[in-house]
Amino acid sequence: MARIGVFVCHCGENIARTVDCARVAEALADHPGVEFSTDYKYMCSDPGQSLIKQSMKEHRLDGVVVASCSPHMHEKTFRKAVSAAGLNPFKCEMTNIREHCSWIHEDRAAATEKSTDLVRATVERVKYNQALSPITIPITPRALVIGGGIAGIQAALDIADAGREVVLVEKEPSIGGHMSQLSETFPTMDCSQCILTPRMVDVAQHPRITLHSFSEVDAVDGYIGNFDITIRKKARRVDEDLCNSCGACMQACPTRKIPSEFDAGLGTRTSIYVPFPQAVPNVPVIDEPNCLYLKSLARRRKSKKPARSRKPVCQRCVKACGPKAIDFQQEDRLVTEKVGAIVVATGYRLYDIGREQDEPGISGYGEYGYGKVPDVIDGLQFERLMSASGPTGGELRRPSDGKVPRHVVFLQCIGSRDPAKGMEYCSGICCMYTAKHVLLFKHKVHNGRATVFYMDIRAAGKGYDPFTRQAMEEPGVQYLRGRASELYRDGDVVRVLGVDTLSQEAVDIKADLVVLATAIRPQKGIQDLTRKLSVSVDHHGFMNEAHPKLRPVETATAGVFLAGACQAPRDIPDTVAMASAASSKVLALLSRDELEREPQVALVDTANCSGCFHCERACHYGAIEHEEIKDGQGRLIRVVARVNPGVCQGCGSCVAACLSNCIELQGYTDDQIFASIQAI
Amino acid sequence: MKELQDLARRLLLEGRVDIVIGYQQGPRGVRPSFVTRPEQADALIFDERCVHNLVTYLSPRRAHLAAWPRRAVVVKGCDTRAVAVLLRESHIDREDIVLIGLRCGGVHRSAEASGPLTAESVAFRCADCSIREPELVDHLLGDPRPAPPGNSRLAERIGQLESMSHEQRREFWNNEFSRCIRCHACRQVCPMCYCERCIADKTRPRWIESSAHLRGNTAWNMIRAMHLAGRCVGCGECGRACPVGIPLGLLNRKLAMVVDEHFDYRATDDPEVPGPLGSFRSDDAEEFIV
Repeated sequence: MARIGVFVCHCGENIARTVDCARVAEALADHPGVEFSTDYKYMCSDPGQSLIKQSMKEHRLDGVVVASCSPHMHEKTFRKAVSAAGLNPFKCEMTNIREHCSWIHEDRAAATEKSTDLVRATVERVKYNQALSPITIPITPRALVIGGGIAGIQAALDIADAGREVVLVEKEPSIGGHMSQLSETFPTMDCSQCILTPRMVDVAQHPRITLHSFSEVDAVDGYIGNFDITIRKKARRVDEDLCNSCGACMQACPTRKIPSEFDAGLGTRTSIYVPFPQAVPNVPVIDEPNCLYLKSLARRRKSKKPARSRKPVCQRCVKACGPKAIDFQQEDRLVTEKVGAIVVATGYRLYDIGREQDEPGISGYGEYGYGKVPDVIDGLQFERLMSASGPTGGELRRPSDGKVPRHVVFLQCIGSRDPAKGMEYCSGICCMYTAKHVLLFKHKVHNGRATVFYMDIRAAGKGYDPFTRQAMEEPGVQYLRGRASELYRDGDVVRVLGVDTLSQEAVDIKADLVVLATAIRPQKGIQDLTRKLSVSVDHHGFMNEAHPKLRPVETATAGVFLAGACQAPRDIPDTVAMASAASSKVLALLSRDELEREPQVALVDTANCSGCFHCERACHYGAIEHEEIKDGQGRLIRVVARVNPGVCQGCGSCVAACLSNCIELQGYTDDQIFASIQAI
Repeated sequence: MKELQDLARRLLLEGRVDIVIGYQQGPRGVRPSFVTRPEQADALIFDERCVHNLVTYLSPRRAHLAAWPRRAVVVKGCDTRAVAVLLRESHIDREDIVLIGLRCGGVHRSAEASGPLTAESVAFRCADCSIREPELVDHLLGDPRPAPPGNSRLAERIGQLESMSHEQRREFWNNEFSRCIRCHACRQVCPMCYCERCIADKTRPRWIESSAHLRGNTAWNMIRAMHLAGRCVGCGECGRACPVGIPLGLLNRKLAMVVDEHFDYRATDDPEVPGPLGSFRSDDAEEFIV
């Protein structure tokens, strides 16, 4: 016969107000298998826990039921107490008679009866509880950071500085991300590159950071503590070890008019290039679709004509290169890295108001000419025009004719907070960077005029509100609450038609330049990556955190963490804070040799498994493996499913999908659930 | 017929297979035939009485056939859909089996029938036959046959059931299930019922009451129908095997319609098409989530 103890908590008045706790304890005292039953005002308090421990010893209890609040709140507390008294913690269960009973009912008699039923069900369940012990899995003490923007850089440096190795993967030829493109940063107006580039150099020189630039994550296998990462190193066609970053190849390259990605299309670059002078690694990359030689190769391959002996096309970079670092034969290479934890820091991209959108549900701005007016630019392009390293050397000159604009119109919330365009969320940073743009503009063009169309000013960060106020109070600056309904080119000006909703007046402005604060969207290809990582995304493609308040940098997949704008629009301070938070989570994980996991994982009854592997298809985490059952002579009898306890998250999808009903979730077995149901 | 017998003989003689499973004349109509020696091959026949879905003998549950692991089986177009499910659910290796496909012009509802096929006598599943020339097979034999005579009785009966109120429908099924004697013939004949241990045989916990009482009967038939949702190929063998004549085909066909409606899945002879239970699509209907 079981010897179960029942402990009914009053939770002060929270439960006792509606439930007669003493009656519940009394009713359970006579239940078969219950050895001891009592009630107490605060079971989670120190005396309450002592009461449990003492009763366990006195009555030699082999199971404990605590009827109180949600297990989310105190399951760990009570299991720890039970463990301290010498019983397996998984012999302790909670019944939630607060959220499930006292808080939602008014009739005291009925609530007491319901509580009694619920506790009785748990008592019956505990009779079938098995002693479980935590699962230990070994850990590879290295981390992978995906994305080399400020989030990835910060996370990589934090982890590496703490003594763990880091593998940093960046898909562009250089790390630095969007922050390297910015001119100044709000609210302190320090130069973005000046604060970022030292960190980039730190990454390059750090003995514990392995940088894979111009690379992408190809495949992710394994599980927390033991990920196997396949990284595709795209063909750079320049040997990173031989190159001495002299730049002679770029001088020699005849293709010079390719729009520069780093300058947001406003400047030009050669087809062998480094994105910007401070790039890390400072090794050029050859742009395959634009290189004359590679184009000629592709043409020749296409025409399938026999290779005639003729002068090689171009290859001037090869001739110019002293250390012979250029290798046109180079191809994509796959490298594998073993890591224990992953930080995703893939950042964002800006919404494009063009007619063509890459996702259904998102539409462009026909009313703004779908971005075809040359003097209508986005925020990032304005940053490049303002930047000392930009295409104009820091002088503000508009794209169409190179004149210095006298009147600039800034439009906020382009795409953001606009369900009609498909993005109803606030992009968070635009109010601040528009204010920054206004101040930068006024700094460069003293007698210039700026008009800002805004919906609300959202400037909640430290020092943010005074910053926006400063912009608003600058002479020649006008903030209009409202939106622009139409933009079109009129001679050499851009006509902005809109409405000032505060004065209810229509506005018609002849602007020299229009800057759109376009919405922040997740990086292209995020869906592919999240699928590889088994991490979910919201319907905009931003990655989901495990808990919006209490686990903001973790994901539902153990061992995968988030930093920066891949999770939601973030400014630099938030991104850096998040990156450090993620690295502290990584370090907490990697500081141990072995990982302890909750043992509530699925277990396959191999004798009954029919091997249909529906579970494998149902498992979101890739936890199902194939196990071969062999006879005494080593002959294969059948193949059955096996759950890798290191990967299993205990979600129970496989249990539901199993046609043979032969998978059980430890701690939630059929026996336990059946017993509970029968007690009610 | 000779074509089939010759092929069976050749497969056995060449050692390609250990057994050929087909049809032969029995004392009462046509019955399954298990040919393990070349000289037995002459017994094989194929005509419109060959209603049985022999794919059930490919199921690993058939322990008595374990001595003949490499099997050839005679299949009609509709039967290949069951093969596809077994392949998809990793129960057979395509290399281990030889599928002898026969061009089919429909079969009788009973293996003991005689005379030509009529709208009255044709099996329900022939009504909307779409695979008269099976593609999944290794050998395709027989002359092209005319299309089976149409009948819409199954659709009509489902229509009748759908027009009933919930109470009427419950009464209808209670009436049917109350006759169930729990012989489990439906399970034994079904090519998809291959569990090592059936939920009906489990005692800890006992999910389904074992005595032939309406409560356990309903649970059994409902659970079996649910286990077949998205897998049933509509061969109707359960209904044919039922000694008390419960129209199990109705239940399964209705579920197949629901699966089609919600998950855009129909039984297919393509083993590469994932079953609805094992596939997740972002456009799956989720109206059950409130």
